[in-house]
Amino acid sequence: MIVEYHRPRTLAEAIELLQRKQPRTYPLGGGTAINFKTEEPIAVVDVQALGLDTLEQQGQLLQIGAAVTLQQLIEFPGLPSALGDAVRHQATYNLRHQATVAGTLASADGRSPFGVAMLALDAQLKLIPGERTVSYGDFLALREEFLPGHLITMVTLSLQAKLSYEYVARSPADLPIVCAALARWPSGRLRLALGGWGKTPTLVLDGQGQEGLRLAAQSAFSNAADEWASAEYRSHVAGVLAQRCWQDLGE
Amino acid sequence: MEISLLINHQKHTLKVSPHETLLNVLRRLGYYGAKFGCDTGECGVCTVLVDGKPMNSCRILAAQAEGHVLETIEALGEHPERGWKQTEGLHPLQQAFIESGAIQCGYCTPAQILAAYHLLEHNPNPTEAGVRDALSGVLCRCTGYLKPVEAVLRASAMLRGEAVPPLAFGDRELISLPLAPEPPGEEEVPDFPSGEVRTKTRILPKVIFSPQVPSHLRVGKPEKKVDAIKLAQGKPAFTADFEMRGLLYAKVLRSPYAHARIKRIDTSRAKALPGVAAVLTWQDLPRVVYCTGGQSDPIPGPLDTFSLDNKVRFVGDRVAFVAAETPEIAEEALKLIEVEYEPLPAVLDPGEAMAPGAPCIHDEPEYVNFGESDPTRNIAARIRVDIGDVEKGFAEADYIFEGDYEVPKVHQAYLEPHVVLTYWDEDDRLVIRTSTQVPFHVRRILAPVLGLPVKRIRVIKPRIGGGFGGKQEVLIEDVAAHLTIATGRPVLYEMTREEEFIAARSRHPMRLHLKTGVKKDGTITANAMYVLSDTGAYGSHAQTVAGNTGHKSMAIYVGDGEYRKNPNIRFYADIVYTNRPPAGAYRGYGAPQGFWAVERHMEKIARALNLDPLEFRLKNALRAGEIQPFSIAWSEGREPRPEIIHTCGLEECVRQGKAAIGWDQKYGNPEWHRVPGKPHLRRGIGAALVMHGTAIPFLDMGGASIKMNDDGSFNLLVGATDLGTGSDTVLAQMAAEVLGVELEDIIVYSSDTDFTPFDKGAYASSTTYISGAAVVKAAQQVAERIRIRAARMLNQQADGKGEISPDSLVLREGRVFAPDGRSLTLREIALNALHHEDQEQIMGVASYYSPVSPPPFAAQFAEVTVDTETGQVTVDKLVMAVDSGVIVNPLTASGQVEGGMTQALGYAVCEEMRYDAQGRARERDLRNYHIFQAHEMPELETIFVETFEPSHPFGVKAVAEIPMDGVAPAVGNAVLDACGVNIDSNPITPEKVWRALQAQTQRRQNE
Repeated sequence: MIVEYHRPRTLAEAIELLQRKQPRTYPLGGGTAINFKTEEPIAVVDVQALGLDTLEQQGQLLQIGAAVTLQQLIEFPGLPSALGDAVRHQATYNLRHQATVAGTLASADGRSPFGVAMLALDAQLKLIPGERTVSYGDFLALREEFLPGHLITMVTLSLQAKLSYEYVARSPADLPIVCAALARWPSGRLRLALGGWGKTPTLVLDGQGQEGLRLAAQSAFSNAADEWASAEYRSHVAGVLAQRCWQDLGE
Repeated sequence: MEISLLINHQKHTLKVSPHETLLNVLRRLGYYGAKFGCDTGECGVCTVLVDGKPMNSCRILAAQAEGHVLETIEALGEHPERGWKQTEGLHPLQQAFIESGAIQCGYCTPAQILAAYHLLEHNPNPTEAGVRDALSGVLCRCTGYLKPVEAVLRASAMLRGEAVPPLAFGDRELISLPLAPEPPGEEEVPDFPSGEVRTKTRILPKVIFSPQVPSHLRVGKPEKKVDAIKLAQGKPAFTADFEMRGLLYAKVLRSPYAHARIKRIDTSRAKALPGVAAVLTWQDLPRVVYCTGGQSDPIPGPLDTFSLDNKVRFVGDRVAFVAAETPEIAEEALKLIEVEYEPLPAVLDPGEAMAPGAPCIHDEPEYVNFGESDPTRNIAARIRVDIGDVEKGFAEADYIFEGDYEVPKVHQAYLEPHVVLTYWDEDDRLVIRTSTQVPFHVRRILAPVLGLPVKRIRVIKPRIGGGFGGKQEVLIEDVAAHLTIATGRPVLYEMTREEEFIAARSRHPMRLHLKTGVKKDGTITANAMYVLSDTGAYGSHAQTVAGNTGHKSMAIYVGDGEYRKNPNIRFYADIVYTNRPPAGAYRGYGAPQGFWAVERHMEKIARALNLDPLEFRLKNALRAGEIQPFSIAWSEGREPRPEIIHTCGLEECVRQGKAAIGWDQKYGNPEWHRVPGKPHLRRGIGAALVMHGTAIPFLDMGGASIKMNDDGSFNLLVGATDLGTGSDTVLAQMAAEVLGVELEDIIVYSSDTDFTPFDKGAYASSTTYISGAAVVKAAQQVAERIRIRAARMLNQQADGKGEISPDSLVLREGRVFAPDGRSLTLREIALNALHHEDQEQIMGVASYYSPVSPPPFAAQFAEVTVDTETGQVTVDKLVMAVDSGVIVNPLTASGQVEGGMTQALGYAVCEEMRYDAQGRARERDLRNYHIFQAHEMPELETIFVETFEPSHPFGVKAVAEIPMDGVAPAVGNAVLDACGVNIDSNPITPEKVWRALQAQTQRRQNE
């Protein structure tokens, strides 16, 4: 249960609150992902007054304030259209107006289309204190270590990359059974991420050239079984979707 | 903590807890337009505008909202006429929702309107896709979204100042049957990437009229729903919106085990928690065995349920009840109840339930058998129906086709959870205000459970936020009632969405085996079905649901020629107990399960014999003039009596449906099946024919009373239970037709066991037919009294010149007309009757039950695209052409069809409830239990093929359930058509299709 609510005006105040030992204190973005009924008493630090809701393009970089909502993001004119698709698949209209970019990324599980797309795009998160920048992939791997006592202030995205997003689901707006996002930079760099399974989105490859893309996707999901689909199926579909993303980018 | 909130331009300063949600605070302050639906942000019925943006108030902390501008539906508009005070009236969005039939139960309406409001503020000229996106965050289980989308588009035109054409409220076009189908237009076949919106909206359905149908003034018109204005304003019309001083909140402790004995239960710590008013366990309550299924007396099922027991039979079963000053305290108290369980071996697979040595789920000595129930073998009910001689029929067949099919457990997913409020009134009578489809059954069934006589219980049914059968159950009323009895205080019990999934009712999962004998020419010689149905831990609707599976799906194909006269049909069912949550009633009531098997099976037979699938079906299908074969064999355990089918528009439904979906251009056309540039995609088209019933004959009864007021208006009191379907409206239309008045002169009230006549409730597709006939009879009595008095008044005026007889008078336009053109207003007659001379209350009371259950018939069509590499199925279009007799209100009736098709679409592709090896549910929220959203809908098309059913004064038959029956098999057949694989268990998930395709490839390689 949430036992304390804070709305600090400065980042320093926020960090001070987040670094307390008791009660455990979490940043609160929109509130869509915080479980209001946690067993343990928790405190929340609402980030709405911290000025983190700016969205700016600097050269080829998109600087997304942590408190920017998913709706603000998809309304940004230069956004890759496939990222918009992933955001729409992530959340419906109401939730997009409420959920923040950082909150959605911080809480993403494997079935998060936005998380998968941002992992493919190699989004960078800026955390304080320490002004530290970590890639979303590193963050996901060590989420339990990175988050306590820290606050994401900014998410940075390269607008140079082209993105393709594909998924399979029982209905068009259902959670993905498998989804794939493939980003390609003008340099030829390719990043493939998969979702639909697991505790976090899965990074499949980050490299040059598409040889082995399908195989890499298949093997990344070769054990991806849960109550929703078998690993055999997911592995096959991961390969198909990876290939389709590649074709989509090629055209 | 203290906060200030600016709500609808008004500042509120109040104390809140840090965890308190904005939804909670809004409702606390009396803003009831924001509803509780899920508490996890999935359903959106709690939408409010925060700084103009639609957000889910259940996911916003009240403290978060401080400093923001909050607006609720209450700020948007109000009733245009409020006595002497002028108001600005309703907002164009509210008007459009009312006029377009976009409001069914109305529980999600305020949220939809607010989301649309935000859209139109930012984009005055949205596309349909834009509207669908804006509504994507608000789930609606009633409408299929078509009419809400259209309403927003109409409102946008109104707000732009454009002339919006009225709905086609004019006279109906008369077309003779049979009708040559319209040639299909030159329609482009667009290339749809998955997920893209593609519904063209049309508010009013196509109606094919029969010359037998007389023209009426009110019946047959797309009248606005009588409850729409209040629902569009978000008025406190639902159970949970009722305020009560000293209210306690109930919570239920639920079992973590699928099967266990409670060895010890200690509530002392819970009771000691400050704010806890009562904690009840099985030790506190009298041990009264009953059945929770809301059906007529005698209950057609075993008595196997206790309010609380010393044994739990599924994960989620009740262990204890708590009432406390706040929901949070009640929840805290649940954690303090100490329970020692002795886990017992569980039966989780229905196939193992009857096996020798299987654990016995119902070993309580109080168990009362019904029919062939046998708790020692976990049999809740058995059905054995033999019509004709099936073995002889098989012997005469050229081919025998056998097949196994399976259907899943699915949830009704009404947006308003089960909710009940109980209190003692000043006469010490127990008032139960509850979200139910069966108020009279609640009263009768609960009386012995509570130790009260029926006369000391009053059940009130306010507006209901959808039920679809899930509320044809006495599911939670006893929880609040026991706690009110224990504490003497009012108690509110509102189920959480998780409780809805783990502990409410659902559609029976079934395994079905079919065996069909067919001659070379396609004549069916015999048809046999065996069903293994899983009722879960309790047998509430065990027997009747499975009975209906046979009664509908096995009745439609009787065979042809000699077989048509003497069909050979067998229907056997075993309905078993398992340690899974109980199944119950859900729209269709067993028929969708049966039709999945029958219609998939018929498709395979037609294809194997190289026959046209629709001609093959029609050749063997039931026709007008024939006997409903089950009517001579089975009637829910009562004496069966033969029923002749008087009306059957099935052939015309097929003709119309084929034309609408372009069957002749698509079926068997290889070109159409391919998608240019997308070699992995295959299109397919499929159909299913279905029939249903209209009420239960010789059983279902509805009553109505009508009284006349001083101004010539009428109060119509009905026990019939409008749960969002619009039944209040169609009943009022029938009364208005008979009494010759506008719909607004009929004030409808439903239902209250103290004030309204008995009605068995809203189920079995019966209200328009049964309760409607009662309304017509009551209205005719009133009309007769009006005519007698009017004749006397006119004769007095005429001073003995030209005696007028009452029979010659006509009620029309709020007046009574004599043949010579003289007339009186109803007001004049009412004042005469109530005040002036020979005073009387002009009123009528009538009831009706039916000796027959005339079946509606329908042809349902589906068009799909299958991704052959992933198995993903995208449903592109659904068409339903239905003979529901005369349509009283095409707006509400088509809303029933669209909503039903949408639920059935979920049954086809995505809805199911699964359990792990410990019996724990996979689906516990609306994230994992996916129901279709506004922006992912296929195109929907509804066509009514009218027939005049002679057993009803206005010729009506049922419409509510039949849309549920044929969509899933039509989609299954379309998948077969697209890629040649048979999926015999729904939902048709991508992995199932992919596996079937893999097996097909393997087979081809082996050949």
